[in-house]
Amino acid sequence: MSKVVGIDLGTTNSLVAYVKDGAPVVIRDRSGDALVPSVVSAAEDGTIYVGREAQRRLLTDAARTVYSVKRFMGKGLDDVSGEASLLPFRVGGDAGGVVRIGLGAREFTPPEVSAFILRDLKHRAEAFFAEQGEIDNEVDRAVITVPAYFNDAQRTATRDAGRIAGLDVMRIINEPTAASLAYGLDKRHTGLIAVYDLGGGTFDISILRVEDGVFQVLSTGGDTHLGGDDIDLLLMHKVLAEVGWAQSAERVQEIRKAAIQAKWDLSDREETRLNGMRFTRADFETLIRPIVDRTLEPCRQALKDAGLDASQIDEVVLVGGSTRIPLVRRLVGELFGRTPHSELNPDEVVALGAAVQADILSTGNRDMLLLDVTPLSLGIETMGGVMSKIIMRNSTIPATGSEVFTTAADNQTAVDIHVLQGERELVTDNRSLARFRLRGIPPMPAGLARVQVQFQIDANGILSVTARELRTDIEQTIEVKPSYGLTDDEVERMLLDSFEHAEADFAARLLIEERNEAESVIQATEKTMRSPEFAVIAMKDLAPGEQQHIEAALEELKAVIGKDDRDVIHEKTHALNEATKHLAEVAMNRSVQAALSGRNVNDV
Amino acid sequence: MASQTSAQPLQVCRDCGGGAPVDAHFCPQCTKILTISRHGDYFRFLGLPRKLHISASDLDQRFRGLSRQFHPDYFVNATPAERRASLERSSYLNDAYRTLKQPITRVEYLLRLEGLAAGSPEEASKQVPADLLEEVFALNEELDEIRDLRASGTPADQLKTRLETARVPIEEKRASHEAQLDELFAKWDALLDSDAPDAERRRVLESLRDRVLERNYINNLLAGIEREMSL
Repeated sequence: MSKVVGIDLGTTNSLVAYVKDGAPVVIRDRSGDALVPSVVSAAEDGTIYVGREAQRRLLTDAARTVYSVKRFMGKGLDDVSGEASLLPFRVGGDAGGVVRIGLGAREFTPPEVSAFILRDLKHRAEAFFAEQGEIDNEVDRAVITVPAYFNDAQRTATRDAGRIAGLDVMRIINEPTAASLAYGLDKRHTGLIAVYDLGGGTFDISILRVEDGVFQVLSTGGDTHLGGDDIDLLLMHKVLAEVGWAQSAERVQEIRKAAIQAKWDLSDREETRLNGMRFTRADFETLIRPIVDRTLEPCRQALKDAGLDASQIDEVVLVGGSTRIPLVRRLVGELFGRTPHSELNPDEVVALGAAVQADILSTGNRDMLLLDVTPLSLGIETMGGVMSKIIMRNSTIPATGSEVFTTAADNQTAVDIHVLQGERELVTDNRSLARFRLRGIPPMPAGLARVQVQFQIDANGILSVTARELRTDIEQTIEVKPSYGLTDDEVERMLLDSFEHAEADFAARLLIEERNEAESVIQATEKTMRSPEFAVIAMKDLAPGEQQHIEAALEELKAVIGKDDRDVIHEKTHALNEATKHLAEVAMNRSVQAALSGRNVNDV
Repeated sequence: MASQTSAQPLQVCRDCGGGAPVDAHFCPQCTKILTISRHGDYFRFLGLPRKLHISASDLDQRFRGLSRQFHPDYFVNATPAERRASLERSSYLNDAYRTLKQPITRVEYLLRLEGLAAGSPEEASKQVPADLLEEVFALNEELDEIRDLRASGTPADQLKTRLETARVPIEEKRASHEAQLDELFAKWDALLDSDAPDAERRRVLESLRDRVLERNYINNLLAGIEREMSL
């Protein structure tokens, strides 16, 4: 039978997982890497690169490379015009319509870009299952996660991306809820859980009650535009203010890479260097404090919505790469008055949970059940530009609501309806989801027709609308024109297009894998050579000329990694591996000895 | 019990054509999930009498139990008709749970069921309930004065203290209303248990409706003070 997987389609990285013998497992590539960077690059010859390879191309061909596309899902051009300045790729589209991302001569909608990532994950999983000797290794169904705070348009865009990638999207589930499933805080447990999820581009907080294996979300809150990317931007601004703002797109990407490295360094070190200058954790925390503070208010609001006090929460779970930042852990711990859980890898936990849900859906396993909520109120525009709410936020989904409309003029046969999502009073402050026209109302005097419009939010958090004229009991046909989405026809066409381009040449894939392998060896080598103890090792343990030999091998591999010759990359990777064997042993021994004796590595 | 004196209406299974009690979720003949009937109500759906005092933990447990029976997660591979029935039944369950969970939405729902809808909040705010005339008069006078003071530049913290003071009697009214509502809840439940005559039940329902209207009115007043304080 074909395979079912869970996919975490992240802002920064994406992963795929499945359930093996009852336990969820992340699928890794041959070099053991689970993360596929959510980066897509369209080369001049039309080849599409995804993941590490596309990430590398950010430094060489930035204008044809897109990252953090999740931020553009379900958005219109007017939503994102403010943030396009530091992005290397073109952001365009028609006013009032869906965003289009220009890579070279080609234009893609965000769901198409995401579909490239999904297809890569699908292939990765299929290759894995084939290696496992599965007879039917096709992956055709998936559960895909989204931030809990995603609105209808963003969820629909994610589902469209799945369809364009040739996947049957069995369910869209919320990332924090998925994480709680992965933590297996299931039926042995009865308690209240807060899941704090700070990822690359989005922030979510969900409060759940777990009892009898039912994971019931009580409230949720967040910000779909707040995450590690914002921290990177702050650091980039700091550097650009020092070096001058007029830089090439590739140089900006180098600065971004250095900023991210500094951010990572400061998660387990007290200081690092950024732009050649000393940069301490205290500096970093002062700089990012406003961003972390912005996550605390939604936490308080979610507690209030759940009718709970922070002290009543039994467990706090951390999700998302940005929760590795010590300041985040500290402030979350203070807010809830307890040390948060972080046993599971915060990058992997969402994909694991998605795999659990995929397993539940495909096998009918009833041990656990997720009951999620809709994060935003749903309503319609009424007289005077005011939003009238029909389904309140934090309602358990699936949920329904209905409203009866009538006509304002004699013999009026159609009524225009504007569907909105949000908490604000005025239409203009909320999200426009769709406009549609109710047609076919039988001609009668004004005010006599009674059209009941039923809004249904399904278990994916996605809306559908039906209408019925109550006097005649005629069901109306509704054409919903999504404000910031694709029509079914567009999705269909993109799916067909993708088949034409799908045979992304097998040789190209093998080349990419070879490059990934090379990249991980380079990274490991550079990490060791950057570490503070390297100077001591070089002096005490390395043979004369050994360091130069390693550096030469490193440079040689770097020189060929961007070339298209797979064999040469393989050869140079092997050479670097050999050259660093001794160094790796020495470094390993030192850290083991240091751990055994409890001393600082430098003193050994 | 009163709600069971009338004959139990039937629903028809769309799959096998068999009949089923209106509060059944699955067809007793073919075991398929039933398309939701238009005749049920939230209490029946959850297997509860129409009482106003509901144990929160009992309600939670029923909710979880029923969710486990017909959540769409368990019908992914079923026929389109069953999937639709599961979606509709789950939506209805969620609406029922949400409505019955809070005492106020619960009593408003009961009043609607019994044909004594309390009216929309907008309607409720039009007419001052007799019981509140005195307080409303005093409050409006105070609010007018505060607005004048604000216009003439009196510092906000001074106005805040006055608003706090003005809120006290209204809060007290609300508290006494809560207590009255609670008593009426108990009275209604006792009438149901003793199978009391319709006229007697009607009287309690009417009192409940009046208290709910007043309560909505009081809440509007408090919201008005809140708005004034946020200026």
